[in-house]
Amino acid sequence: MADSKSTLGEERRQRLAAAMREAGLDHVLLYGNAWQGDYLRYGADFGILEGHGLALVDADGAVELFLDSAADAERAELEAAGVRVHFAADIARAAGARLDRIANSRLAAAPRRFMPQWLADPARGFKLDDATALVDKLLMHKNAGEIDAVRRAARIADEAYVEFLKAVRPGRRQYEIVADIEAHLRERGCPDNFMIIGSGGKDVLGMTPPSERQIAVGDLVTTELTPAVQGYFAQICRTLVVGKANEAQRRAFAVYAEALEAGIAAVRPGARAADVAKAENDVFRKHGLGEYTTSQWTRVRGHGMGMFADSKPHILEDVNTVLEPGMTLIVHPNTYHPEAGYIVLGDAVLVTEGGVEVLCKTPRELFEVAA
Amino acid sequence: MRRGLISRSPIELPDAVLEARLDRVRAAMRDARLDVLIVYTNNTRPAGVSWLAGFVPYWSEALLVVPRDSAPYLVAALTFRVKTWIERVSRLGDVLHHPRIGLKAGQQIASVQKSAAVGIADFDGLPAGVAADLREGGPDLTPSDATALFTKLRSKADPAEIALATRAGAIAHHALQAPERGPLNAMIAAAEREARLRGAEEVYLAAAPDLTRGPRFMRIEGEASAGKFFALRATVAYKGVWVRLVRAFYDPEIAQKAAAQFAQAVAQLPSDRGFAGFGSFVVEGCRVAQPLEPLLGSQFEAANPLSPGALVSVQATVTVDGESVPVGAPVLIGAPGEAASLLIDPLFD
Repeated sequence: MADSKSTLGEERRQRLAAAMREAGLDHVLLYGNAWQGDYLRYGADFGILEGHGLALVDADGAVELFLDSAADAERAELEAAGVRVHFAADIARAAGARLDRIANSRLAAAPRRFMPQWLADPARGFKLDDATALVDKLLMHKNAGEIDAVRRAARIADEAYVEFLKAVRPGRRQYEIVADIEAHLRERGCPDNFMIIGSGGKDVLGMTPPSERQIAVGDLVTTELTPAVQGYFAQICRTLVVGKANEAQRRAFAVYAEALEAGIAAVRPGARAADVAKAENDVFRKHGLGEYTTSQWTRVRGHGMGMFADSKPHILEDVNTVLEPGMTLIVHPNTYHPEAGYIVLGDAVLVTEGGVEVLCKTPRELFEVAA
Repeated sequence: MRRGLISRSPIELPDAVLEARLDRVRAAMRDARLDVLIVYTNNTRPAGVSWLAGFVPYWSEALLVVPRDSAPYLVAALTFRVKTWIERVSRLGDVLHHPRIGLKAGQQIASVQKSAAVGIADFDGLPAGVAADLREGGPDLTPSDATALFTKLRSKADPAEIALATRAGAIAHHALQAPERGPLNAMIAAAEREARLRGAEEVYLAAAPDLTRGPRFMRIEGEASAGKFFALRATVAYKGVWVRLVRAFYDPEIAQKAAAQFAQAVAQLPSDRGFAGFGSFVVEGCRVAQPLEPLLGSQFEAANPLSPGALVSVQATVTVDGESVPVGAPVLIGAPGEAASLLIDPLFD
């Protein structure tokens, strides 16, 4: 595992350095925290967990990492191979002092909007151009090793959903179910997961972190499970019923299954993210549910997957990003249904030369668990 | 990301506690001639906002706007669909939703007072995009850095915060006690499950897998095995308060000596002289944004002073009979003239 991790990290670093040279950049400063850690991890091969960090990457591939968490700095010294780690309570000023020494070079930052504003202040002696698009392109287009990691994460997501089906029982509280899933993932050696949950009926408008709400007979229970392997996330979305699904729930679910199928069928090289969203939404419109494809009821119709659980491109009808082989996405027509409540259904997919490969293997059904 | 229980308890965090904190903030704002205070939050920097409103974002970002003379409101990038959830887990006057939180906050503040004096906690660390949007939304606002003001307010833990930290420490204690000696992955899983079942908002488990090779902690990915001597560290969040606790699986006699040396050094805080001779040590506490910010330690060039009554986390590597043993626990700094004390004992086998 450690060898494949460092190989993958080295490949990424080389790709970034090549892209920097092509763009005429001497140094790129990458920002990261545990929420948006993908840019930093791409260049520094370090998954930040606490505090925040900056990685200064040279066009020759050398990396310096500035971290303001003592726990993470200690971990980085063990986990980030070939990276020079600096522990500093004020990483902006520590990195700024370093940038002052190379201020005559061509410098850029990504994601620029997340940079500590002290670094972006025009009063500084250095100027940071915006390298966000450059890194975004690298994050979206994955090489074979990265795709393998996403594929393994999707397999773990499938297995975790089997555990989820076992964990949901009447009387259990939402957070107890999540405890079971997280423990299962840690036992499998999976260190990270993004997960939200919903349970209830027509009163439920979406998913959130777990609450103390107890599962009841007849509930729709929704979840997004998003485990990570070597920093690469893969997501699965499924809905279950506690007890026997009623006719309204079955009828509603059939729309989501049709929309997911339509969305996945639209994924191919050359298609736009908007085409996928439109394919999903057209199914809802056909069934008179067009209102529920709007931002009042749903956020996105899917999104990219990779080193961030909610990567670019967002699958929306106004996003014109062209899909290319090597991109990994989740297609999920998740939204509210007026007769059943909030329903989710989504699969991780890979854009291939010939079209699409579905990475999740869990059946697309409205599961039923014992009441 | 937060995956644990996020809920509000009117017993553990009554309205009166949050109101008392707001009263102190408003008094400091009057002294500093600030019309509005802004505190930024995301799931990695939740400390300031959770202290004032109980809100911890599981994802995304928000700004808490505290006008000097009216109720605080949240400007959140999370969508309208989670408004009821935010209101359920927080104490806020209102929640506004906008993808550009800086823009919306700037516009909202300026609509009330065009040239308001706006203090911003951790101004230098504010994301550049949010800062630019704030300027665009309120071009005539007068922003200033309110970090020192906010830090001073947070320096002494109030009784509610101490109670929550004690509860977090108890969760960490139970979590680290849960695993039987066995495969490392299974031990981590058992500890994580226990912490979450006891209501942890979040838990990070780290391991020093072989203390004969070094006392440093790492996150475990894939199959891992532990040596004869190893240690686990639980970092636990409970209702916005974070603690770290270490369990060392070591020769019991040596581990007990290490824990005693650690407690002896801790008692001398805020002076760090008790840590002389330790392999390393770090003291973390909450100043503004992050729940565990470094304050003092052996790797520091410049340390922040530890205030009387502060809640901190102390981690150290103690050398006993030539062996390096990691120890860590939450600590309450005493009033002037009083010794500091461990909030909960570190564990050892």
